[in-house]
Parts: sequence; structure tokens; C-alpha cells
Amino acid sequence: MVIQIILLCGLVIFSGLAILLKDLLKAALALAAASLFLGIIFFRLSAPYAGVFEISVVAGLITVLFILTIALTRKGDEVTEARLVKLAFPIFLILFLIIDGLVMKSLLQKIPALPSGPERGTFGEVLWKQRTFDLVAQVGVILAGVLAVLALFRKKEEDKDE
Amino acid sequence: MVFSFIVIPLLVAAFLPLIGKFSKKLLPDLLTNAALAFLVFNSILLVKPIFNQGVIVQNLNWLGEKVNLQVALDGFNLFMLFTISLVSLCISLFSIDYLEHYGHKSTFYALFLVMIAGMNGLVLVPDLFSIYLFLEVAAVASYALVAFGLGYDELEASFKYLMLSVVASAFALLSITIIFGMTGSLNFQAVAQGLQDLGARTVLGVCVAFFIMGFGLKAALVPFHAWLPDAHPSAPAPISAMLSGLLIKVSGIYALFRIIYSVIGMTPVLSQLLMALGTVSMVVAALLALGQKDIKRMLAYSSISQVGYIVLGLALGTPLGIAGALFHLFNHAVAKGLLFLNSGSIQHITGTRNLDELGGLGKMVPVTAGTNLVGALSIAGVPPLAGFWSKLIIIMALIQAREFGYALVAILASILTLWYYLLIQRKAFFGRVSEKWLQVKEAPFWMSAANLVLALVCVLVGIFFTPIFKTWISPAAEALARGIQQVLMWGL
Repeated sequence: MVIQIILLCGLVIFSGLAILLKDLLKAALALAAASLFLGIIFFRLSAPYAGVFEISVVAGLITVLFILTIALTRKGDEVTEARLVKLAFPIFLILFLIIDGLVMKSLLQKIPALPSGPERGTFGEVLWKQRTFDLVAQVGVILAGVLAVLALFRKKEEDKDE
Repeated sequence: MVFSFIVIPLLVAAFLPLIGKFSKKLLPDLLTNAALAFLVFNSILLVKPIFNQGVIVQNLNWLGEKVNLQVALDGFNLFMLFTISLVSLCISLFSIDYLEHYGHKSTFYALFLVMIAGMNGLVLVPDLFSIYLFLEVAAVASYALVAFGLGYDELEASFKYLMLSVVASAFALLSITIIFGMTGSLNFQAVAQGLQDLGARTVLGVCVAFFIMGFGLKAALVPFHAWLPDAHPSAPAPISAMLSGLLIKVSGIYALFRIIYSVIGMTPVLSQLLMALGTVSMVVAALLALGQKDIKRMLAYSSISQVGYIVLGLALGTPLGIAGALFHLFNHAVAKGLLFLNSGSIQHITGTRNLDELGGLGKMVPVTAGTNLVGALSIAGVPPLAGFWSKLIIIMALIQAREFGYALVAILASILTLWYYLLIQRKAFFGRVSEKWLQVKEAPFWMSAANLVLALVCVLVGIFFTPIFKTWISPAAEALARGIQQVLMWGL
């Protein structure tokens, strides 16, 4: 019970930090930490696959993508977005809600219930014995992210030297 | 060993930044090319076992403990691995001289190898979620490689590519999630069995639509092509060659058709839809290519058009159609790799890619002009070069399946292809030499050597078409066709 409360508090705190922090890099890392808590909660709710995927995709892979995107931007650059881009998110959200309300419910009802729980095993078993290949790919993604940051920040270092 | 296709590039990539600290050029050049040469050699060694056994399944033990590292190699995978390794080796040879003015060779090669490891992994894994992960490995490396020049255009193109690619990955992941929710499994065989038992056709239809949107974006099929003409020309020439020659095929075409043929099953409606998408890509992109003045932009549109041919053949679903499409996939990878490398040579020699500024270069740079002509004629489908045979087989397969309309469009699009490639040749290499280019010299040794090797492959594959088709293409087509037979038996 205590662990459950700690995990839920951690999830809420880090999710809040992800929104509130103004430094994009720190916000991305806070989101990764929130995903880590969520992954552990999934695992404790007997969904080890969901837990492993949450940790590997959101905490690992998506964080690399965020850091890479932040690396592609420059400090102090003016962001001048077209009006269409500003409208894109609310329009997309409204469209998503409409489609979700109209289609997803009936669609989900058509998905047959699974005969039995497909996910078995402890966190370690799922991660190391059932989804081992994913770990190799994770190593690849993280390596790519590190190398990308090395490649994209190299000019800034040269500028400093000059 | 099959795992070496993933492990060796990753290992070399991990050590390259360290090696780059004390050897800026020689060791990174040597290690990268040696690793890729080993992969080409390894894929050739695996031909015989695949020819005899059909499928090789390998499991890996880690410190005596059995872990779930399983790869399944059949004719189709091996064909893709060989194509990736061969074209990558030529591109990395070209990079030895080309990267001199970029600097930071070790970081470039490391990213390049991670991209190759991602593509090889994607080709080898028999699991939907692992496909997504390796797709991201290759993609993350490619975003950085597109932006490697760090100019405004490169960064903008990389950002656009990243944004659209993430949307593509999201669609693919969404579809994988729904399938996992329905079947409780991610392994190809188990998912296929699960889908057969469930028979949830409506939901499956939605999944297929998401897959087409996701992988269609990765393959840059019209109407999902907007990112490609910006991303491919902005990248350094070797990366343009990798993206156009290999990445769009592996992360788009391979992933889509592997899932359709080995997991979901091809239905007549799906076949017609994909054939229509392929044909539209073929024609629209060929027309758009005609109006381009930047060589690389023209080549980028040409890639979309040629991917249309491959999709048309694969979607037709007959053994001959699949074989023709796979053969065209190989030929296009080689020839488009060659043409993008050539465009890099032209830019290196003259400092421009604008066709209106070039002219008469043929006399000054005969190797670049000659290899460019071979690549252009091969893609356009002029006999006896390799591209002629693959296009002929696709058109024959269309006629055999009584799809006369598609066959006619394929022939007409081929004429358009020849038209815009001759435009490049005429504007850049033929005619009188402008005074500006009187002092230009041939591209450096390794750049010319890589172009010559790829041009030689285009010619030799065309001449020795029959044995190559039997050794490489037929086992690959049979492996895919077996997938169709299995799924057809379930009556999906």
C-alpha cells in the first residue's frame, strides 16, 4: 500500500514537473521519470508486457527522440509559427475527440475478449527472457541518440573555440 | 553467423567515437569498410545453407542462460541483407574521400553503422514490436545523418523528416498495439494464428489501414511523399544514397509487405488498393521529376516513382510479380545509390547541383559521366542493363494476371523515366563545355572507385541475369510466396 502511494505520488509529481519545467531538456527527463513510475505501476497491476513497453518505449526511446529534437534547435532562436500550425493542435484534438466518441467505442466492442491472460512472468523474466531482442534495439536507439547529439553539437563547440 | 549482421555494426559504432580521438581518418575508414565487407562476405556464405534448407533459425545463449534472442533467416531476409550490405559497402568506400570536407568521420561512420544495424535488425526479427524498435534505431540515426552538414537546409529537412517519420511510427505502433490487444502475442506466427482464430475482419481492416499509412509514409508513397524531396537532397550524398537506395525500402516496403504476407494475408481488395497506390506514385512522381532543376531533387522524385513499381509488383501477389518487384528493389537500390553518389561527385567537382549551370562535363570527367549513364539507363529500363529485366518481369507479370491497364501505365511511366534521366545526362554531361568547367578534374579515387563498382554491378547483373535470378531472387520470392500460401489457407 505504501509503495503504491509512493509510486502514484511519483507519477503525479514528475508528470507535473514535465509540464511546469521551462527547460525543455529537464521537462523531457521528468517525463521519462514519470513513465518509469507508470511502467512499475503497470507491472504491479499484473501487466508486465505493458510495463516493459512503457519503460522501453516512453522512458527510453521517446526520451531519446525528445533529446534529439531539442538538439536540433538552437538556444535563443525565435520560434515564429504560422497561424495554421497554432490552430493545428486544437483542431486535431477536437477531431480526435469526435472520432474517438463516434468510432472507437463501437470498434473496441468488436475486439474479442482474450480467452486467457497472455502475459506471464516477472519483470525480469519478461525483460530478459521474453523481450531480449528489444533490449538490443534499445541499446541501438540510445547509441544512435548519443551519437546524434555528438554529431549535431559539434559545430557549437567549434564556434566556442573561435 | 546471422546475429553478426546486427552485433558487428553496433559494436564497431560504439567504439568508433573513442577510436576517432587518436585516429581521425585511417582507422575509422578501415574499420567501417572492413565491417561492411565482412557482412557482404557473410551474406554470400549463407546462400548455400538457405538454398538447401529454406529457413535457418538461430537462438543465442547468454552466459550459459537461454535468452529469447531468436532470428529467422529465409530467402527474402537474406536477399535484403545482401542488398543492404553491398550498397552500404560501396557508399562507405565513397565516403572515404567525400567526407574529407565534413570532418568528424568517426561520428559519421558510427551513425552510419547504427543505421545499418537498425535495418539489418528490422529485416531479421520475426516479431511486430521488435520491427518497430529497429525501425526507430535506423530512423534516429538517419535524422542525425540528414542534418550532419549542420546548414539551415539540412536542419530544416531533418526536422521535417523527423516530424513526419514520428507520425509514421505512431501509426505503425498503434496498429501493433491493437493487434497485440486482440491476439495477446507479437510473434509473426502466433499473431497470424491468433488472427485466424479470431476472424475480427473490421478491426483488422483498421490495422491494415494504419500500417499502410505508417509504412506508406516511410516508403514515401504518393500521397505520403511530401518529406522525401526535401530530406533526401539536403543530406550529404552518401546519406541520400542510403536513404533513397535502402532505408525507404527496408523501413517502408519490406516492413509493410512482410507483415501483409507473413501475418495478415493479402486480400483482393488490399491488393487492388496497393496496386493503385503504387501506380499513382509511379506516374505522379515521374511527372514531378521532369520539372526539377536540382539533380538530387530529381533523383528523389525518381525514387518515389520507382518505389511505385516495386509496390505494384509486390501487391499483384503472383510469384512472377513478387520476383520482378524484388529484383527491381535490388536494381533500384544499386542504381539509385550510384546516381546519388554521382550527384555527390558532381557537387564535389563543380560546387553545384543545378542542371542549368552544368553542361559538357562528360569530356572533363568521363568516369562520373559514364557511370551516371549506366545508372540512369538501368533505372530507365534499357537493355541489357539490370533494370530492364526487372521492369520487364513486372510488366510480364501484369500481363499474365490480365492487368493490362496497369501494364500500359508501367510502360508509359518507364518512358517518362527515360526522358528525365536523359535530361540529366544532356544538361550535365553532353554539349559544349562551359568555360567555367574547363579546369575541373575527375572525382577523387575512392569516389570514382565506388561509382565504378556500382556501375559494374548494374552491367553484370544485367548480363548474368539468369543465374543471379535463380540464386538470389527466386528463393526470396519463394519465401514470400510461402507466406501467402500459409495465410491463404486460413481463408482470410
